[in-house]
Amino acid sequence: MARPGLRAMTSDLRNRLLLLLVLPLSVLVLVSAWLDFRSADDAAVQHDQRLLRLLPGLADSVVAATTPGTEPLLMLAPAVEEFLRRSGEYTAFSVRTVDGELVLGEDWVQGPLPATTAAEFHSVEYGGVTYRVAVQRGETNAGELVVALADGSDPRQQWLQQLMLRLLLPNLLLIAAAGLAIYWSVRHAFKPLVDLATAVEHRSPRDLSPIDEATSPAEVRPLVRALNHLFDMVRAQVDGQRRFVADAAHQLRTPLAGLQAQVEAWALLARSGGKDRNFDEKWHAAHIQITPLAITLGVDEIEKLRAATRRTSQLAHQLLALSRADARNVDAAAMQRVDLKELCGLALELHLDAAAARGMDLGLEAQPVHATGHDWLLRELLSNLVDNAIKYAPPGGRVTIRCGRSTVRGVLCAYLEVEDDGPGVPPDEYAKVLQRFYRAPGAAGEGTGLGLSIADEIARAHGSTLQLMRGAQQRGLLVRLLFAPESAAPIEPPKTGLGE
Amino acid sequence: MRLLLVEDDIMVASGIKLGLADAGYAVDWVGSGERAQEVLTKESFDVGIIDIGLPGIDGLELTRLLRRPEMANPAMPVLILTARDALQDRVQGLDLGADDYMVKPFELPELLARLRALLRRSQAANTAVLSFGSLELDTANRRVSIAGADGLAATVIEIGPREWTVLEYLMIHAPKPASKDKLLQALTGWDKEITPNAVEVYVSRLRSKLEPHGIALRSIRGFGYRLEQTP
Repeated sequence: MARPGLRAMTSDLRNRLLLLLVLPLSVLVLVSAWLDFRSADDAAVQHDQRLLRLLPGLADSVVAATTPGTEPLLMLAPAVEEFLRRSGEYTAFSVRTVDGELVLGEDWVQGPLPATTAAEFHSVEYGGVTYRVAVQRGETNAGELVVALADGSDPRQQWLQQLMLRLLLPNLLLIAAAGLAIYWSVRHAFKPLVDLATAVEHRSPRDLSPIDEATSPAEVRPLVRALNHLFDMVRAQVDGQRRFVADAAHQLRTPLAGLQAQVEAWALLARSGGKDRNFDEKWHAAHIQITPLAITLGVDEIEKLRAATRRTSQLAHQLLALSRADARNVDAAAMQRVDLKELCGLALELHLDAAAARGMDLGLEAQPVHATGHDWLLRELLSNLVDNAIKYAPPGGRVTIRCGRSTVRGVLCAYLEVEDDGPGVPPDEYAKVLQRFYRAPGAAGEGTGLGLSIADEIARAHGSTLQLMRGAQQRGLLVRLLFAPESAAPIEPPKTGLGE
Repeated sequence: MRLLLVEDDIMVASGIKLGLADAGYAVDWVGSGERAQEVLTKESFDVGIIDIGLPGIDGLELTRLLRRPEMANPAMPVLILTARDALQDRVQGLDLGADDYMVKPFELPELLARLRALLRRSQAANTAVLSFGSLELDTANRRVSIAGADGLAATVIEIGPREWTVLEYLMIHAPKPASKDKLLQALTGWDKEITPNAVEVYVSRLRSKLEPHGIALRSIRGFGYRLEQTP
């Protein structure tokens, strides 16, 4: 429940961190690109000026041909020669007549023929490279000519190319790295929080013990403290409630004992009265106690009264047992080694009369086995389970108390179970029947709806839970308490061959 | 059968008194431990029912006191009544010389059954005659008999020594069931190598002898046997 929320929270945080980091980074990239462009622009202006300075040199280098009709000669000035040599293939020149006819150099190095003697600058594409071309018309030794110099090392051009390489790529890499770093660090920074959430989430609703503050990171400690405070308050309230129920049940038992003793005695008298010779005298004696306004009750009424009283007494007893069996209230350290076979035998003895009264076959299938637990609680557990089985199974049914050990995931575990062949409980009702005061629809009228929840509480006090399933041949109900593996004692060597 | 009831709750006491009187007990009722101590020094009772939560001398203290030799019947079997059912109380009650206990509120038929069992055990210790319904086991004369109804002569039943051991064990523990293991243990005095089948044999022999007289040996599946009266 808390988990998807937390996941959303961390991913939300991740996105926000990423956005907060990427925005300034992008601004930085833009600023740096702009600055870079400015410096490239400056360099371009310097380039233009250099070309401008070299143009007169080029013009001077043109020497008129000695024989008319032939091409003029080129005697490159040292500065121009150095420029052409140094920049290699990215430089070129051309000399042409004012009509545009090429005299010397490369044909492509040209712009629109200038009308004045002022230098002009053009950009010319050649061989995939954009060249800066300076063109000037001027007087030379060979008459009026148009000279042009081309330079391919245009910083503005290179700037565009290098922009990708020098600026965008590293920055994109940086942003990607930042994203990864954020993802990783948010995950790691939030791990204690996620762990805390998992711990709280996986807690049993009955577990109200405080969370260890020392193991949580300092930032969430106030939260842990607040949670612990809340746990404390809830625990205090739950404890108070449990004490109240226990006290109330305990206080109820004294008047109930008196009421029950009276009603039980009346019931005995009323039954024996019919066949007793001194019936009249005794009947009279029994009724003298409720004079002067004598009311005569028939045997049936008295027995109904007795049944109601017994049920009330049982309820008081079970409420008390429930509060005593409360898993939070039971001291796990005080567990002893319990002989489960003996326990089953005692439960059988205790319920033999009740089973016989309903014509039921109450039996035992017990292997010698011990477990670590609370003797009196386990007695209470078996008593409630057997009582339930006898109450809810039809007359003439079969109830079996079992103990032994079974292999669960490769480990031997001791178990206690009670199986009946009654109507059973539909599997989708299993969780409900463990709730306090829940009674299955159509259940016979006798139960209090507490037996199974007491048994479940006791199972919890033993670090286990009650398992409900169908009995043999998919009939009836089988309730099992599986002990934790470490509590299963090794098989006892047989003492004398006679058991027990 | 003379019974002393020590109970300060009037409702409980009068109910028990009524029920027990109906079952044929002569009940003397006192409401405090001090009064009970006084009565017990002078008079002898067959059995006592003592409530733990008495004002003044409480039930546990009283149980300890009544075992003193100067008391009229230090061997009196005692059944403790308690509203406290924590384990400590139970163990303490039995350690201090109480023979059985019941937790309040209780059902009267259960109390009567416990009293009968208590009495049968103390009777066996004193008189050497065990009885269960009309069945009597005279341990001194090794004689099993069925009491005759309305003054008729008793019917003697012949049983073998191993059957005797089984029956004696069952009678001492009735109405509780006896486990097969315990019966086997009781029988090892006779034979070193005894099998669970042997127990079944003796039980079935006893059955055929007792059933005509209204005494049943009911099998408890997976556990053992129980002596029951058939109506």
